[in-house]
Amino acid sequence: MTEPVLQVERLSVDYEVGAGTFHAVQDVSFELHPGRVLGIVGETGCGKSTLAHAIPRLLQEPPARIRSGSVRFRGVDLLKLPRWQLPRVRGTGIGMVFQEPINSLNPAYRIYDQVAEAIRIRRLRESGQAPGLVSPQEPFDYSKPKMPNVGEVLLKPLVPSKGPASRRPMLSKDAQDLRATVLEYLKLVRINDPDTILNLYPHELSGGMRQRVMIAIALSGRPSLLIADEPTSALDITIQAQVLTLMKELMTQIRTSILFISHDLGVIAEMADDVGVMYAGHLVELGPVDQVYRDPRHPYTKGLLRSAPSKYKTEGPLPSLPGSVPNLSRLPRGCPFHPRCVLAHADCTQDPGPKLTKAVEAAGPEHLAACYYSKEVPGIP
Amino acid sequence: MTEFLVEATGVTKHFPLTQSLTETLSRQERRSIHAVDGVSLTIGRGESLGLIGESGSGKTTLGWLIARLFEPTSGTIRFEGRDISHLTGRELRSWRRKVQVVFQDPVGSLDPRMRVWQIVGEPILAQEKATKSEIRARVGEILPSVGLPTGSLDLYPHEFSGGGRQRLALARALILRPKLIVLDEPTSALDVAVQAQVLNRLVALQEEFGFSYLLITHNVAAVRYVADRVAVMYLGKLAEVGPVRQVLEHPLHPYTKALLAALPVPEVRRRGARYRVSGEVPTLISPPPGCRFAGRCPFVIDRCRTEEPLLRVLLNLPDQWVACHRVEEIGMIPPNELIAEAPVLPERPSTMPATPSPEG
Repeated sequence: MTEPVLQVERLSVDYEVGAGTFHAVQDVSFELHPGRVLGIVGETGCGKSTLAHAIPRLLQEPPARIRSGSVRFRGVDLLKLPRWQLPRVRGTGIGMVFQEPINSLNPAYRIYDQVAEAIRIRRLRESGQAPGLVSPQEPFDYSKPKMPNVGEVLLKPLVPSKGPASRRPMLSKDAQDLRATVLEYLKLVRINDPDTILNLYPHELSGGMRQRVMIAIALSGRPSLLIADEPTSALDITIQAQVLTLMKELMTQIRTSILFISHDLGVIAEMADDVGVMYAGHLVELGPVDQVYRDPRHPYTKGLLRSAPSKYKTEGPLPSLPGSVPNLSRLPRGCPFHPRCVLAHADCTQDPGPKLTKAVEAAGPEHLAACYYSKEVPGIP
Repeated sequence: MTEFLVEATGVTKHFPLTQSLTETLSRQERRSIHAVDGVSLTIGRGESLGLIGESGSGKTTLGWLIARLFEPTSGTIRFEGRDISHLTGRELRSWRRKVQVVFQDPVGSLDPRMRVWQIVGEPILAQEKATKSEIRARVGEILPSVGLPTGSLDLYPHEFSGGGRQRLALARALILRPKLIVLDEPTSALDVAVQAQVLNRLVALQEEFGFSYLLITHNVAAVRYVADRVAVMYLGKLAEVGPVRQVLEHPLHPYTKALLAALPVPEVRRRGARYRVSGEVPTLISPPPGCRFAGRCPFVIDRCRTEEPLLRVLLNLPDQWVACHRVEEIGMIPPNELIAEAPVLPERPSTMPATPSPEG
């Protein structure tokens, strides 16, 4: 087995606000292997976005506080890095695509400048003129773990050494080359007429176009890990389908690992290899997506899958989960799902709650569920 | 004559754009956004009509026209046989008790400084004189029917979850016992699990009170469950109207097919190449002649760009209306067989009369 790109271990994140402490992410552990897509699915307020932001440490601290755990990205624990080193990991190490592209793009700069900035930074880092973590040279051959010494790169001094190369002014040849690369990336994300788009401002583009530009920017850093936080939720259905198809095609081309966050079970089914289901800050189930969808082993996953409405009203009422998501500041003892669970027994209400354990005896990849009674889950009507 | 609750005929709503000084001085024709362009539809008594479309299709504008929150530019809307398209003043106000609207954003549409009984009871005050204790009594009666406890009369909206707030908005719409409720994206702010609860409640309420729904949404699953008939809107026009099962399982219009094929389904086996339409929704300002979908349609022929297709029925499907010139050839192709590139179909001369499809 290859070394995982991302290894999250027992990560816990709290928000400390006036009303109390909200446990947004609790004891979450997972691994993401090279070239794989891990989907994280859950309802609003289950902590999936907090998780996505905690990995590259983009959370506002305070109010957020990473209580414990480790986030090892290509072997380096990001939680132990000093704050000034983090920008060196972002962009070329970890790329991100967020939900609202209009909020991620700078309204005062043209599309060209925003894509070119990402490419310029990556090039400076790759040529060693600026400190920063870059992905191994293409093609990404993860079977040979001959990555640059991560620790060494990150510990370079803040100001790059004043060699003759680092202070070289931008020549017109370089500018032309940069422009060509920008065009290349815009074409990669299927933007028609990229020559015109280059000179436009974000507000002049449609939502789907903006999201493509965001994807182009994220990809132009050639990150080893791409975190996509609800990248299509703000888009219309047919546009969402276009962007998802595009991302799937790009995945096969660039072979980056993706952490894909969504509330939409359908989008996850389409995009992910593995899926993690989150409930009230806990990762309650983790496994290959077809296995989890076909044979869920946590009562919450089962309820979530069943409540996706797919009936006509003549066919009787829709199945729905009773109750509602608990308040993250007053989580129930033991398993967070027990008040809504039909399988709940006395031991489910005892602290500590169930841990992710192997749920199905199978030869294939592991299918984990955090439930003492996961064997009984298939029996729930 | 009054067979239908709502009968809209050729309803049009244009929003004029602001003109620059030079445009005004040079006497240029004022341009406008054609949000709804000549739509005709009916809603029967006790029927739920689902209106689906993407953003910018004009579905919300149409809903607001039917609720008379907008006045149509042209066309008529009849409600129980009476033309309400240009009602004003006291007449409009007294008519309003028959139609209520539930808005998309349950946070934005509930005043955070009012208590539950004030919010839900406000429509009563708008229509009739009532004392505080009468209002509280009536609100207390209506709350259980939307699944909220009677004891929550004195709470504020922030004390409810998203689903709870949507129920409050629903209770406010119900309190005057209207004939029609316009639901504008009632579930899009809600999670899947809560969505199912709200949709169940909507159907149960309709059985109890017997009113009609106009369900405006981009959520096909919600329409599938709540609606009896469904209308698909694209760029201010109806593309297809028909019984819900028929339209969702055997869509005829290329746009409906594209829309349904684009839905992500939580089933892994559906992965892989699927029918996609390219391009984006074009602007509604001065739309081109011909079919609105022509620019994105994989089956486009010259006729589509010049002659506007009208809603018509196929001989073998009397309830399903579709606006497409080529429906006889392409209507029967199931959506999952249409992959990215359009299949090559022989172009037929545009003068040939429409014939019913041989497959049907």
